[in-house]
Amino acid sequence: MNRERFIRERRSDWQRFEGLVSQLREKRQRTWASRDVADLSRLYRSICYDLSLVQSREWGARLEQYLNDLVAQGHNALYRSAPTSLSMVWDFFAFEFPRTFRRHRRAFFLALALFLIPFLVSTYVGSQRPDLAEMIAGKEALESARAGFSEELYTEMDSRYAGERSLMAGFYVRNNTGIAFQAYALGAFVGLGTCYTLLSNGISIGMVNGYIVSAGYPTTENFFSFVISHGSFELTAIVIAGGGGFVLAQGLLFPGQRTRMDALRYHGLESLKLALGAGAMLGIAAMLEGYFSPLPIAPAVKYVVGTCLWLLVIFYLSFCGRGGSAHED
Amino acid sequence: MSPQRKQQVDTRVVVETPEGADFEFVIAGPGTRAVAWLLDEIIQVSVLLALLIVSMFLWPFGEAGVGLGIGGMMIAKFLLDWFYFGLFEAFWNGQTPGKRSVGLRVVRSNGTPVDASSAIGRNFLRAADMLPFFYTIGMISMLMTRRLQRLGDLIFDTMVIDERREWISRSGGLTANIEALQRGECLRRFSVPERTLAVIERLFETDRIISEARREEISRPLSEALRGRLGYVDPPPDPRNPHVYFRSQGLRHTQFILRVLKTFADNPQGIKPVTNAQRRQRRSMSKSVAVRQVADETDDLEMADILDEGPTEQVRARRES
Repeated sequence: MNRERFIRERRSDWQRFEGLVSQLREKRQRTWASRDVADLSRLYRSICYDLSLVQSREWGARLEQYLNDLVAQGHNALYRSAPTSLSMVWDFFAFEFPRTFRRHRRAFFLALALFLIPFLVSTYVGSQRPDLAEMIAGKEALESARAGFSEELYTEMDSRYAGERSLMAGFYVRNNTGIAFQAYALGAFVGLGTCYTLLSNGISIGMVNGYIVSAGYPTTENFFSFVISHGSFELTAIVIAGGGGFVLAQGLLFPGQRTRMDALRYHGLESLKLALGAGAMLGIAAMLEGYFSPLPIAPAVKYVVGTCLWLLVIFYLSFCGRGGSAHED
Repeated sequence: MSPQRKQQVDTRVVVETPEGADFEFVIAGPGTRAVAWLLDEIIQVSVLLALLIVSMFLWPFGEAGVGLGIGGMMIAKFLLDWFYFGLFEAFWNGQTPGKRSVGLRVVRSNGTPVDASSAIGRNFLRAADMLPFFYTIGMISMLMTRRLQRLGDLIFDTMVIDERREWISRSGGLTANIEALQRGECLRRFSVPERTLAVIERLFETDRIISEARREEISRPLSEALRGRLGYVDPPPDPRNPHVYFRSQGLRHTQFILRVLKTFADNPQGIKPVTNAQRRQRRSMSKSVAVRQVADETDDLEMADILDEGPTEQVRARRES
């Protein structure tokens, strides 16, 4: 077959395909007629064949370009990634997230150390040497924190409570989850950004903690009964997100048996799971911190609920998704 | 990737489809991506403003309403910051509103559509790419990678392609500044067989190195035959502006066959599929007209032979002398 005959014979198909693609592009995928789809895929395959023919016989750059563009359009129209569904969300939280967490527990413990050690040290410093804490963390911020906890936050649940708590819940979502995601994303700088975020947060939270401990009885009780409930989700999630950042860095630094590209992709997806799970945990934490933690009820109740929440988080992360399921890790 | 792959000198990437055909993607540059990004940012700000107006309706409900409104705004800002790009790219097959209006798309670097987790992940890493200001890190990373990938693209194995070139017509940039023939300029029938168009295209292939003068020489017999067929006569020089005419005389045959190509290969009616109405009309045509049309479509000028003949008579004569 010579080139001219080829063009003459195939051109009607090409034009039909062009018309079909532009027609289908206007419509939503769900409303495509089955006959159109059948036609489209048949024409697409034959055009793929035409393209390889033109390429192998070197029948001209312009014709090749034209067919190339047709193939690109067909490719986009036909190939899509599998749709996501609600059951995948359930699977993720019931199995995938805790499993991924356990697969990468070494990264988690590294992040935990980088957060917990500066936290404990600065708590100690803050409680023993409040003047030093004031120098490091800023006097006004610390004093307003202490003043805020020197008496109970609320005595009754009125309109002021509802307004302030909704506002604060929004703030916690934006601020805390933002910090966690940032700790994760900065793992792309071979983990240095994650280290920085974890260390600086550990130090500043520890300073506040220590400073309030130094203030004595009523303040400490108000503070700890406030923090214990949402702390379970919040602190764990921030450390998990940091661990995600380290998993990301692991792909960059230690690809292991994989090629570096494969390692990046694998660790990228694994670490993303950690970050998304941590994001969801922080959403829960923000709601707890917004609406439950400051409730005007006896501190003992909060201690009990808080302890239960800590146990829940630990149980969830260490045991959920173990054992018999189709999706084994 | 095979070692004998051609060295790439522009922003194209070759990808093999599951059907076994190789085809090329054009990678989007930082400029277009910045435009798309800017559009997306504008959309996000407008969404926040719209939400602000909606939340004002909560204000009359006292402190609880105001707090709920502001808290809701903060959550909305958070969701837009971290999920706007990711979710759009996940559910719109790699496009955000900004990318769609500019003609960009995110695909995996093997050309297949982006999946939801890669779409979300590559946009999470914007936080790293945008440091220290205006995507400096992302820009550096794009300069250093063949597929112009920022960090998020590298880690989640995606690339941003430019799809605007898709809709080039068959004669492409060749006939960009060429005027189409008007029906009134041609006294005889107004059609050119496909085969002749293919010959014209071939004459202008970029992989042939032909001087303009040589191309004009080859075009002459083609152009003359076509003029005869179409019944086209060059308009006389414009008396007020004669040099335009004389300047264009040098390449008049090349110009003419380009006009023919533009008129008949780019015909917008030709691109649409034949509609049922047209088919019915064709069927109901009188027999003589139908025969005439078939004759039009098959009646070739045997231009391929002209091209394959080798040097023209003038050249031959020159060589002999």
